[in-house]
Amino acid sequence: MTETDFIHQLKAQNRASYSKLLEDFQHKVYGTCLSFVPNREDAEDIAQEVFVEVFNSIDKFKQESKLSTWIYRITTNKCLEFIRKKNAKKRFAFLQSLSGNDYNLDKASYFTEINHPGLVLEQKETSEVLFLAINKLPEAQRIVFTLNKIDDKSYKEISEITNRSIGSIESLLFRAKKNLQKTLENFYKNQE
Amino acid sequence: MNANKNIQDKIDSTLNALDTLNSVQVSPFFKDKTMQKMFAEKQTISKSWSWFTPQLQLATLVCVVIVNVYAIRQIKSTKYNEAISSFASDYGLSSESEASLFNL
Repeated sequence: MTETDFIHQLKAQNRASYSKLLEDFQHKVYGTCLSFVPNREDAEDIAQEVFVEVFNSIDKFKQESKLSTWIYRITTNKCLEFIRKKNAKKRFAFLQSLSGNDYNLDKASYFTEINHPGLVLEQKETSEVLFLAINKLPEAQRIVFTLNKIDDKSYKEISEITNRSIGSIESLLFRAKKNLQKTLENFYKNQE
Repeated sequence: MNANKNIQDKIDSTLNALDTLNSVQVSPFFKDKTMQKMFAEKQTISKSWSWFTPQLQLATLVCVVIVNVYAIRQIKSTKYNEAISSFASDYGLSSESEASLFNL
């Protein structure tokens, strides 16, 4: 069956097609959600919302991109929406972040409890520090870094998901690494 | 110098921490739960608005337009204005009666 036929069946709200869609994408979407939101329960809730959104919005899908790209775009947007909501609740020290010198990687101010099922035990602590540092990045840099370094997506895939050129992806990734280096440097200096 | 190298090692190790991430699987009940949620929402939507057919929607729109046209005509009609002014003069609410109050 071609992708166009499959999309027609999804538009017709065919139960078997949605079953296949879930079979094909449930682990991938969950993985992407976990890359942005490293908490198994939150990630599962977001993944569920993604499929409900696909179900409700499939009529608006114009097939200008691949179905998988469209699903990952919805996934990224849902995750960012979740992070924005949770961060807004926890932003009590907003003046510190406005000054641009906020290197405090405080677990208590992170938007969720870090509980990623794929974390290797020995790397748990350093991974948590990295997640806290990623949360301090500007949104565009955070998206590109997360999709590339955590979710293991290629530049081409990220470029399709974010509607940006590959050059722009490379530049954002470079800036994200530079900012992470700066944040982590200050964090470890303060620890000593 | 040594401290700086130590910090850089820690940074490199942190930046590479997620390279060893294990692959993850969603819970075995995820598919069933999601299927149920998707199709339950569809049924709710269709049940709540299923009685409001396009024919009924058009009939409702026509009724609203007729009522509005009738109301506008009533407001504009001279009979309505006459009735209002006679009501106002009966209860001393007309501008003429107000003027006479100030003149007292």
